[in-house]
Amino acid sequence: MEMSPGHFLLARLDDVARWAQSTSVWPLTMGLACCAIEMMTVTSPEYDIARLGSEVFRSSPRQADLMIVSGRVAQKMAPVVKRLYDQMADPKWVISMGACASSGGIFDNYAIVQGVDTIIPVDVYVPGCPPSPDGLLYAVNLIQQQIREGGRGGILARS
Amino acid sequence: MTLSATPLTPEIVSRDGNAMVLSMGPQHPSTHGVLQIMLEIDGETVVTAEPEIGYLHTGIEKTAENLFWSQAQTVIERMDYLAPESNGLCYVLGVEKLLGISDRIPPRAQQIRVLIAELTRIASHCVWLGTGGIDLGAISGFFYAFDLRENVLDLQEAAGGARMHPNYMRVGGVNGDLPSGFLPKLDDLLAKLPGRMRELRGLLQANPILQDRTIDVGILSAEEALQWSLTGPALRASGVAYDVRKAFPYSGYDRYEFDVPTRTEGDAYARFLVRLDEIDQSLRILKQVRKDLDTPGPVMIDDTKVAAPPKETIALSMEALIHHFKIVSEGFRVPPGDVYQSVEGPRGELGYYIVSDGGNRPFRVRTRPPSLYNLQALKGIAPGNLIADLVVMIGSLDPVFGEVDR
Amino acid sequence: MPSTQTPPIAGLAIDPPSLRPPIDDAVIERVEPAGLHARLEELAAGGFTMLLDLGAVDYPQREPRYDVVYHLLKLPATAATVAEAGTPVRMRVLCGVPGERPQLPSATGIWKSADWAEREIYDLFGIVFEGHPDLRRIQMPGDWEGHPLRKDYPLRGPAREKAPRPPFALKSNVQAGTPPTGRTLEALQEQIARVREEGASP
Repeated sequence: MEMSPGHFLLARLDDVARWAQSTSVWPLTMGLACCAIEMMTVTSPEYDIARLGSEVFRSSPRQADLMIVSGRVAQKMAPVVKRLYDQMADPKWVISMGACASSGGIFDNYAIVQGVDTIIPVDVYVPGCPPSPDGLLYAVNLIQQQIREGGRGGILARS
Repeated sequence: MTLSATPLTPEIVSRDGNAMVLSMGPQHPSTHGVLQIMLEIDGETVVTAEPEIGYLHTGIEKTAENLFWSQAQTVIERMDYLAPESNGLCYVLGVEKLLGISDRIPPRAQQIRVLIAELTRIASHCVWLGTGGIDLGAISGFFYAFDLRENVLDLQEAAGGARMHPNYMRVGGVNGDLPSGFLPKLDDLLAKLPGRMRELRGLLQANPILQDRTIDVGILSAEEALQWSLTGPALRASGVAYDVRKAFPYSGYDRYEFDVPTRTEGDAYARFLVRLDEIDQSLRILKQVRKDLDTPGPVMIDDTKVAAPPKETIALSMEALIHHFKIVSEGFRVPPGDVYQSVEGPRGELGYYIVSDGGNRPFRVRTRPPSLYNLQALKGIAPGNLIADLVVMIGSLDPVFGEVDR
Repeated sequence: MPSTQTPPIAGLAIDPPSLRPPIDDAVIERVEPAGLHARLEELAAGGFTMLLDLGAVDYPQREPRYDVVYHLLKLPATAATVAEAGTPVRMRVLCGVPGERPQLPSATGIWKSADWAEREIYDLFGIVFEGHPDLRRIQMPGDWEGHPLRKDYPLRGPAREKAPRPPFALKSNVQAGTPPTGRTLEALQEQIARVREEGASP
């Protein structure tokens, strides 16, 4: 961005849009299990995700642009997660929070989907069981970095 | 509709063909987790509510059958994820009964177990209070409650090593003594707690909006509560003073003085007040435990067949080395038998029916999940009420779905 | 290193409830399926107002194969204080159910809370409860085949039973090799060399 002598601010639309998107990422309330409690804790005053722009967690997938899959995905819940992901409007990002969402975690059995990336594409994985809220904040930072650098999900529909 | 009108029975609610079936959940801001309720509604009034569970079924009980006795505790701790150490406590108490070492647990280990169990009860009630408040729109209560929870989790992290799921309880005692600097921090929390509870009560207890929304909502009489197998604060709010800590004391609870808050109205407001009173009683127990914790002592049983020997002795003693090797590579064996052990969790009577076939892995760990039975009562109390009341009822029953679905 | 894949050191007991040590946790009684419903009604009328829990265990080498366990609590509805509640009597009723066509009468008429517990036993063990108002799967999806908690059902499920466990290095979000601070290894080594030359802290 540059300031011209006539007090015009010049910038590329892409940059402005990415700045706006990255500083107002609104997550979907996709709390499944123990990681959901740490996700709720990240909204509490000690960790405060609102200062990163995630002021509200939207319950409707139509209004959210970040899905934080926090917790183990059971067989019965997997189609629901996929449907919610499909219902989100582009551009959208996904954080797979915790070991169970990333890879099935400590539950290598009949009931748990071994990683939510088998059903939806994931942008950032957060290790931990459950990850500390700091870990989730770092993941949101990485998402913001990905948005700013023009990763998947720019201002246009993702390629 | 007047403020304290009794709920309508389904026969009174008209069914003139306007009934609609609505699926509430499994992703919903107010269902406290992955719960789907198939609601048959007539306008805004619920005709029938059929909860559908299983959206978090993890196969924990089957996974535990394939892990060693001490490894199984890690998966079992993830059932009630709001009060993880109470799961661990119940499990190790049951295994200790089967092993026959219940009377050889060092007193300091028992005191630390009571300390951690009460801290985890306070942490769980903080989450209940915060999220229950959000359901009603009292969002600032959430921040107060979670700030309190942070202090409790700091203590749990210092003692056990992790904020949630520290796997701190072990068969034979606890995993390591309290670190230095823990007791002053505990004193700080005990000093902060009464003031914070006063603030929370001031925010919520006499709040006319909260009273409007919770008084006379979801009334359960004592007989109905017993029919639905309710336990914990929901049962005590209906007038039955059953608390496992008093009825079947464990881990030295009979040495501490505390009351069991009971009310008779049986509505959501009564359950709310009972849980707030329980936090006060937990504080009372914590103060008594704090005095006991001044005396040092061992925190793990002296039996190296069950508990790993101290690290310093492994390099010096052949037996210690062999015992350590055996415990790590094949675990310990528990004599055959079955036992039902229960503790008073924040949600009610958490019980495990543990069956051992004499091997080094549990044969069966059947959980008695308090939230499953508490949630089932929703089928009985929902009909005739508004959908908004349904949200209040779920919050007042306080289910956690890791436990309901396992 | 022990893993879930290695077979356990099996215990030799095929009927653990009959070999239990003398633990005083409940009054234990074993009932045949034919007399179960009558006995439960008798107990409910005799003051056992609460069905604490209803579970099942699979003993594959034993006949009858399944044990359905009813945990009961004798707690009067009038116990308004801790002193009145006292120490309630706990009871455990075990009922052996054979492996072929396992079924039992439903207890939903006696205690309402048996509803979901029986659905769960049907879902995970395959024991049918006659007289249950709505016996369908509760934990697994409605079209699931098999009863997972039976001992002959593989832990990882029939589809993945023999599949290898995937390597975890396939998952990464930042470029592999980027240290958490964002500095590369070369920059760090340069800084160390500089500090050693200068002999002072950076």
